[in-house]
Amino acid sequence: MMAIGLDGVPASLIRQFVDQGVLPNFARILGRGYRLHQMHVSIPEISSTCWTSFMTGVNPGEHGIYGFMDLRPQSYALYFPTYRDVQAPTIWDIVGGTQGGRTSSLAERFRGVFPEPLRAVVMNIPQTYPAQPMNGVLTAGFVCPDLQRGTYPDTAYQYLKSIDYVPDVDAEKAVTDKPAFLKDVEYALTKREEAFLHFFEQERWDIFLGVITETDRVQHFFYDAAQDPGHRYHDAFLEMYRRVDAIVGRLFDRFQNMTHGEGVFLTMSDHGFTVLDQEINLNAWLQQQGWLRLRDQGQWFDRIASESKLFAMDPGRFYVHAAGRYPRGTVQPSEKAGVLADLTGAVEGLCGPDGRRVVREVHLGERLYHGQARASAPDLVCVPNDGYDLKANLLQPAVFRKGPMTGMHTQYDGHCVLPESLPVEGQLHIEQLAGTILECLAKSCTLAC
Amino acid sequence: MDHLTALENKSIYIIREAYAQFPNMAMLWSIGKDSTTLLWLCRKAFFGAIPFPVIHIDTSYKFPEIYQFRDEYAKKWGLNLIVGRNEEQIQAGMAPWKGAKLDCCSALKTDALKSTIAKYGFDALLLGIRRDEHGIRAKERVFSPRNQQFAWDYQNQSAELWDQYRSESEEGGHLRVHPILHMTELDIWQYIQRESIPMTPLYFSNEGKRYRSIGCTHCCTPVESQASNVSEILIELQTTTTAERAGRAQDKEDAFTMQKLRALGYM
Repeated sequence: MMAIGLDGVPASLIRQFVDQGVLPNFARILGRGYRLHQMHVSIPEISSTCWTSFMTGVNPGEHGIYGFMDLRPQSYALYFPTYRDVQAPTIWDIVGGTQGGRTSSLAERFRGVFPEPLRAVVMNIPQTYPAQPMNGVLTAGFVCPDLQRGTYPDTAYQYLKSIDYVPDVDAEKAVTDKPAFLKDVEYALTKREEAFLHFFEQERWDIFLGVITETDRVQHFFYDAAQDPGHRYHDAFLEMYRRVDAIVGRLFDRFQNMTHGEGVFLTMSDHGFTVLDQEINLNAWLQQQGWLRLRDQGQWFDRIASESKLFAMDPGRFYVHAAGRYPRGTVQPSEKAGVLADLTGAVEGLCGPDGRRVVREVHLGERLYHGQARASAPDLVCVPNDGYDLKANLLQPAVFRKGPMTGMHTQYDGHCVLPESLPVEGQLHIEQLAGTILECLAKSCTLAC
Repeated sequence: MDHLTALENKSIYIIREAYAQFPNMAMLWSIGKDSTTLLWLCRKAFFGAIPFPVIHIDTSYKFPEIYQFRDEYAKKWGLNLIVGRNEEQIQAGMAPWKGAKLDCCSALKTDALKSTIAKYGFDALLLGIRRDEHGIRAKERVFSPRNQQFAWDYQNQSAELWDQYRSESEEGGHLRVHPILHMTELDIWQYIQRESIPMTPLYFSNEGKRYRSIGCTHCCTPVESQASNVSEILIELQTTTTAERAGRAQDKEDAFTMQKLRALGYM
């Protein structure tokens, strides 16, 4: 079983580039019994949340990762959830017998199905830092502050160090020095491929999960170049896609050879992408509406004053400043529904400078999320219309802004290339993939036994 | 010779060796326990009169106790005190709560130090860092070169066998000299006790809390402790299982994460 993740690669762009001949390997794979699906992803449509949904096969209400940052319970203390905060076991924990005390609805479904632990190679999946002992090899993806702590076992770290592997590129360079940034992307892709092939050949494994994140980085800063042949970086954008296509093709061929064409191969992304017109700072908007007041003391979210009724976190998460949930919270349980109804009305009416509605969908947290981690869920989440990137900055005073980024995530246009033999009923969703992968593994286990 | 005297001798040897090689040298004094111990050793090395300037990098966010201690002892010990401040950024309102802490540190600490070094043309700096503070510091040499960008190439360092130290840095760079690199946190407190070195009261328990490591007011937090004098701190250190900079290691990862997220437009 092999799954290659391509961070932020949209189904629509794969379709277009395949038709235009930019992606010959994808074209070849699609011609050999595979199908391209447009896949919906978890809400919020952000890498930490969606990759966790992919690797655990459950919704954020069960795995507990709602974004790259969150607040500690009963406080305003900001923290960055790591792999330790993921409350549901991952695919490799379930098949490898290393799920420990973590459990989930998916893990329960497959309890006892894998009596013999299966080995996994897990490369560069975001939200897997710090690496925990597992049955196989893992090197963490974004955010990975320390490659050694992000890699298990230590021999794998020694190898990665020896090839000067990089867990990520420096996105700041995309603003200050674009040519140097693109060179770094090329270097990172080379190292990614080198490491993938090394572990592919050298390890004994039953499941290989590898993610390429450079696609997302490039798209954030160059997505305006995708459709514009006159754009200075159009060729560089296509070149990056060709490079990724070549890596996918090489891995596909080797995997087919190794499994005599019987292995299950798939590619997928954690969200789609589209062109960014405007960034909308929801906290500035809440301040304008009189729902959020900041104090001059404290840092970040500790600046929320007691009279605040609401605040937001990246990307489109709203929290009611409820009494009992936050130290200075004043909104009483009886008022909460009213506050959320007012917010829903206002946010649905919010329009951008061009008069278009900013928000496409509004969801109440209690309806959208279900499971053991529901208590820390946002009270309301928004999915934006294409072009409006939702942010929740506490420092920027402007509601609308155009920053250095030209691309933004979409919730509806993730991609998944699956064998036609695997049945997909209705709209494919990222939270279904782990179940599909486990079923395939269970089937091959039964056949082998 | 007892343990503390052996450590003291080694430090004084390094301080004198550095000054012999770099007459245009200075010492960094953060007013914390390590650099105040280093200052004490420098006074001993030169019989009470330190022949080089002492630099305090002032971010303007230090505790009042720190400023008070600095001014009192600079006068008492006749120090040639240089206060390095990035006035431009301080006036512009740079503060830990204005953005990422890393930006604040880099503007108010690193840039302030860079311009102080450039202004006076120092070619060596004495620093009070210790090997046991952090994994990466275990790789430090006693004489450690920095290039013009302040970068430390730790994979390219000469061995320091038989107390032979490197005395050159690349053009435009400077040498960092670490006279108390070989001491541990426990050694420092034992030495403070033996010599009765004055310390800022922030280290001693006040309403059940004390600072174990002191930075700026907004960016360091006290630990739970009942230790209200040096003897009690020594007892606490011999029994504690928390690392001195445990909080700071997490801070570092968080600062890294924040920087990465901000580069992608979050925060």
